Amino acid sequence: MFLKKYGDLIVSIFYTIVSVAMLILASMLPKSKVMAIGPDFMPTVIGILTLALSVILLIQTIGKLRKGEEVTGEKDNSDYKRVLASLILATIYVNILMPVGFIISTLLYLVLQITVLAPDDKRTKKDLIKYAIITVVFTLVVYFLFRYGFKIILPQGILKF
Amino acid sequence: MNALSQLGSAMLSVLEPTSLLLMIGGVVIGIIFGSIPGLSASMAVALMLPLTFSMSSSLGMNTLVAVYIGGISGGLISAILLNMPGTASSIATTFDGYPMAKKGEAMRALGVGIVFSFLGSIFSFIILSFFAPMLADVALQFTPIENFGICFFALTMVAVLSSGNMVKGLLAGMLGLLFAMVGMAPIDGTPRFTFGSNEMMGGFNTLTTLIGIFAVADILVSAETIGKGVETIPVQKVKGFGFTMKEFVKWLPGALRAALIGTGIGILPGIGGSTSGMLAYVTAKNMSKHPETFGQGDPEGIVATETANNATIGGAMIPLLVLGIPGDGVTAMMLGGFLIHGLSAGPLLFIKNADVVYGIFAACIICALIMLIVEWNCIKLFVKVLKVPKHILMPLILVLCAVGAYATNNRIFDVQSIIVFGVIGYLFHKVKMPTTPFVLCFLIGGMTETYLRRGLMSYKSFGAFFTHPIFDVFFAIAIGVIGWFTFKEIRGNKKAG
Repeated sequence: MFLKKYGDLIVSIFYTIVSVAMLILASMLPKSKVMAIGPDFMPTVIGILTLALSVILLIQTIGKLRKGEEVTGEKDNSDYKRVLASLILATIYVNILMPVGFIISTLLYLVLQITVLAPDDKRTKKDLIKYAIITVVFTLVVYFLFRYGFKIILPQGILKF
Repeated sequence: MNALSQLGSAMLSVLEPTSLLLMIGGVVIGIIFGSIPGLSASMAVALMLPLTFSMSSSLGMNTLVAVYIGGISGGLISAILLNMPGTASSIATTFDGYPMAKKGEAMRALGVGIVFSFLGSIFSFIILSFFAPMLADVALQFTPIENFGICFFALTMVAVLSSGNMVKGLLAGMLGLLFAMVGMAPIDGTPRFTFGSNEMMGGFNTLTTLIGIFAVADILVSAETIGKGVETIPVQKVKGFGFTMKEFVKWLPGALRAALIGTGIGILPGIGGSTSGMLAYVTAKNMSKHPETFGQGDPEGIVATETANNATIGGAMIPLLVLGIPGDGVTAMMLGGFLIHGLSAGPLLFIKNADVVYGIFAACIICALIMLIVEWNCIKLFVKVLKVPKHILMPLILVLCAVGAYATNNRIFDVQSIIVFGVIGYLFHKVKMPTTPFVLCFLIGGMTETYLRRGLMSYKSFGAFFTHPIFDVFFAIAIGVIGWFTFKEIRGNKKAG
């Protein structure tokens, strides 16, 4: 419910901060010596427009909150545990892809990620074996397809062959 | 009728069995490359190029054309089924294609996409065959100033996209512009917003950004509800291409408009299929009597984008063949291929090698037909992907996204950035901000700045821009669009409040 009520407020504050930061950073960029506008021109324009828009949104939102408009809608019963776990897994995956290599990191990531996303009743031993088989087949097919079919060598990491 | 008879005789030689077989193979390889994100049509052409060395020049060129056409149209398959644009050209196809697939209309969406891809290509090839030299003259008139006009006009389309909740839509667009600024500034190469990182110097890659904001974000969104039970996306069986003659006739005017936009954008070097698809989509939404259904799974959205991005192919061939100017990466590769086979593109081409030129035109038309037949026969195969339960499908897609992002530039930074953009896409979804303006601005932001600064470099002052009538027209329309939509928005707010 928090996001529904204060979502716009957060957005406008976030954008205000971003636009101010952008204006400051843009002002530190060098001015062009040869022509009217340099590399700082576009960022400055974008910064000013963003600032203006976020202030408008802020005013609109505060107006709405003051009026105390009832926030209606369904209760948010999203499963944030799965979202967060997936995000963490994916982040780890992309960061170990290079040092560890495509094959090992993908094998690990896929098995864990599929298990995380699987509904609770789909985590029996039989299911897990199924996931493992899918993972191994998929990973190897992708790796060798890219290597020999498309001539792209995916990160090899510690397994070099 | 000279053009027609030339085309006819070229058609006969293209239809020889060897040539036909090679073209079918080329189209199939193109479709595979096109449908996997990160593997682009230009890579497909680059990989096929050495294989054509030993062929005769006409066979070689036919094969390259086949790969190119397959590569552009293949993107629609993954865009519709997996919300993952296979090529940058098919970004806008995801807007309505994926919602349709979610509603169980995947086969219908694919049918519509394939048919209108075909029609778009054919339209542009007809234009190419008959008006190429004439249109090339027009394209030569375009200076950075006119291109800036078009880009500026395209940017104001954000206002159209976000009508109803304009402030948030515009803010979404601003974030897109901000990300487009990261990296080296055009012209002088000043690093901007790189925070001292070498990786950031190159800026964010278009395709990886899109993969992140669509596919990765989609994985996070579906993780919210996935635990409730095994979910597969339903697939309704359809007859024929999944639409009736009546619907077809209704969509035709929109398709024609999109084909004109696509061919027009294609002729101008450097703007490309992704922009033409987006522009056609926004125009269709704007002209529609029911704009609110766009983005919810309206086949007309697919009609517009697929017609336009395929019409871009024929458009892009015009400066390529007539002036020897490649518009983007793929056409540059094609130019290389043509040169290897002893064809020097340029103004004299139509006089010296008319037979070769019409051979290419004929190959284009036949390849479009092959594309239609191959994809049509494989629809049933494609939709099998949706039978995989979501909790297995989604992780596999993420791995493909990562691989695609890596393959684009061999940079691990691109892979890492898909997660960042995935989170942005997810947060946008949470606070109900539209992602389309973000994508449009990200695509066009960099281009707009480049053309503006190039124009200013050669013409010194902004005032001089207004002496260019084409620029004036686009600028006036752009200002009109902003004014009209702001007015509509304020009026709408007053009514609501």
